[in-house]
Amino acid sequence: MFPTPHLLKARLQVGGWINARILKDHSKRVAFAANEERRQALRFIARNTQIPQLQRLKAQLELNAMPSNTRPTQIVNRCMMAGKGKGVFRDFRMGRFQFRLNALEGNIPGVKKASW
Amino acid sequence: MAFPVARERLLQLYKLRASIFNTTFNPSNVRTGNKYLRQRLKGKSLADYYPPRTVTVADMRRIWPELGFIDEQEQARVDAVERAKARGKGAPKKIRVKPDKPTKKKK
Repeated sequence: MFPTPHLLKARLQVGGWINARILKDHSKRVAFAANEERRQALRFIARNTQIPQLQRLKAQLELNAMPSNTRPTQIVNRCMMAGKGKGVFRDFRMGRFQFRLNALEGNIPGVKKASW
Repeated sequence: MAFPVARERLLQLYKLRASIFNTTFNPSNVRTGNKYLRQRLKGKSLADYYPPRTVTVADMRRIWPELGFIDEQEQARVDAVERAKARGKGAPKKIRVKPDKPTKKKK
């Protein structure tokens, strides 16, 4: 049987270019995905004015007490080629310099240097 | 021609419209939190941002050492060393001479 990362029991589930910040960001993404439904349920209870005030307060407190890693605002789109956290194009998941390098090399389909 | 319509009449219309098109009827704009139930879950797409780990040649070499997957980088290094040796440009041999004095111990 052909080995897959899952069968390899690889500790890293991220491929490509890796650094500690990318791994950190990835772990936040996984944590957010695992807790998203709970967060939304708590948000619904806390924001619903037709629910008793005490229950809403409890939901809000529980939401506040959740680990910060489960918050979507902790997630930062990083360059998947170089791990940069700023100047990253959302559409290409690449920082501006990596985008330039790869575009000039022709690695990004449909991207062409403008000239007129 | 515009003419005033009673608010109750309008509300009746909105209620009927909501029942027909199966939409919410919330004339006083109470915050019901439905917004959060309607939102799509985006965790999966966010978690898939970075490319997943794939099986590499190094993995295959580790699993099936008998199949002889070549480590190209290591092979290139070994070749370069051999080439250098053939030209007499290899690394110098280690000088094996005992030091005459034992170095002073530092306190």
